[in-house]
Amino acid sequence: MTTTGNSRGAQPALEVSGLRKTYGTQEVLRGVSLEARDHDVVAILGSSGSGKSTFLRCINLLETPSAGELRIRGELIGMTTRRGRPAPADPRQVDRIRARLAMVFQQFNLWQHMSVLQNVTAAQIHVLGRSREEAVEKAEAMLAKVGVADKRGHYPSQLSGGQQQRVAIARALAMDPEVMLFDEPTSALDPELVNEVLRVMRGLAEEGRTMLVVTHEIGFAREAADRVMFLHDGRVEEEGPPREVLAEPRSERFRQFLSGSLK
Amino acid sequence: MQPVIDYLPLLLQGLAVTLKLAVSTAVLGLVLGLGLALAKISGRGWLARPAFWATDFLRGIPEFLVLLVIYFGGTQVLAQVFGPGAPEVSPFLAGLLALGLIFGAYASETFRAAFLSVPKGQVEAGRAYGFSRWQCFRHIQLPQIWRIAIPGLGNLWQGAVKDTALVSIIGLEDVMRKSQQAAQSTREPFTFYLVAALMFLVITLISMAVIARAEKRAGRGMAEAG
Repeated sequence: MTTTGNSRGAQPALEVSGLRKTYGTQEVLRGVSLEARDHDVVAILGSSGSGKSTFLRCINLLETPSAGELRIRGELIGMTTRRGRPAPADPRQVDRIRARLAMVFQQFNLWQHMSVLQNVTAAQIHVLGRSREEAVEKAEAMLAKVGVADKRGHYPSQLSGGQQQRVAIARALAMDPEVMLFDEPTSALDPELVNEVLRVMRGLAEEGRTMLVVTHEIGFAREAADRVMFLHDGRVEEEGPPREVLAEPRSERFRQFLSGSLK
Repeated sequence: MQPVIDYLPLLLQGLAVTLKLAVSTAVLGLVLGLGLALAKISGRGWLARPAFWATDFLRGIPEFLVLLVIYFGGTQVLAQVFGPGAPEVSPFLAGLLALGLIFGAYASETFRAAFLSVPKGQVEAGRAYGFSRWQCFRHIQLPQIWRIAIPGLGNLWQGAVKDTALVSIIGLEDVMRKSQQAAQSTREPFTFYLVAALMFLVITLISMAVIARAEKRAGRGMAEAG
């Protein structure tokens, strides 16, 4: 299915229903559902071990869900069983879907042997099939947007963590993704570098990008998210607009979590 | 000097054979080494185990023995299979197979270590952006593997160049054999072995410079890395 102006918005950008993930006998996700429409910004909170990162990684199939359904703009990701384990039915569908769900990692994961510019053009060229000129033009615009245009010739190891993460965001933006997945994007940063990344992310939220953000930054959730989802022990413990659920959490665990991180 | 000038064309012919053998050994060894390394890290026991066995076997016996087994043993096997008039294994082919197998065995360990040292997140980012497994290998893993493997592979190349001298014993007309012939007919062994030594030295010194350059090139972006 194509993503022309018409089809965009007709179907939710992302639908997850009853997602489960087990490692051996341990159940990390026990049936998590989520619907993200265009322009939604969903903050996913939870203490470590709550399954929030696993949930995000299941959405682009970096982890294979054990059960449940995933739809991107209505397109169901086909699953099958291989050697007794769940596996994607069509690897090419997975590659195609992944290109539409750009991910920003906690550890940035910029490609170390590529310059900043190459990092932002590589997937455009090799995955989306864009021409070099088109990819470079796009990359330069995105690098300017996140404020690192002057670093285009540098290598990741020559940049600060905050700059690397902003390059990683530019890499994600350059794919024109339907949904952006952020996996604790500020957790590996020195405290003084967190804000430059959050500022960029706030800007994206205001622009109407569709974002799922796994984070510990309650402030970001309050100000930038449309919806907050609190995961505990592999389940959605609380969900709702940030103003409501952050001010008056119904669940005792969420209250404890918030008081712990608001100290 | 006169004898050296007289024999120079012969020695240069030998040099060409030496270089040809060394380069083909390296090509065969690199292909084999990469294949064995991929088998070892495949996570499939039926593929990994034989690769480890082959490597341990080849690294555990003298190179000279491998050469003799392939040259004399190979000819014997061919004779038994095809009967009289069977083709013989040429010294060049025996040298190429023996040195290439050994190069490959050592290179597979160099490649394997390099593969394992590329952080998981590098490949994961590639997969997350829709790169296929092959694209990840080609655009993300391989360039980073080269950087780490080049010094080790450089050592193997230097070793392969020098090991070609072994093949003269089974009759390869390389620098070694040509200089031996010249030394015998002129009765000037010191001069001609020295000339041969200089020729090897020129090859290895040039390769060292090339390897250093390649290392620098592949290390782009890594200078400041921890």
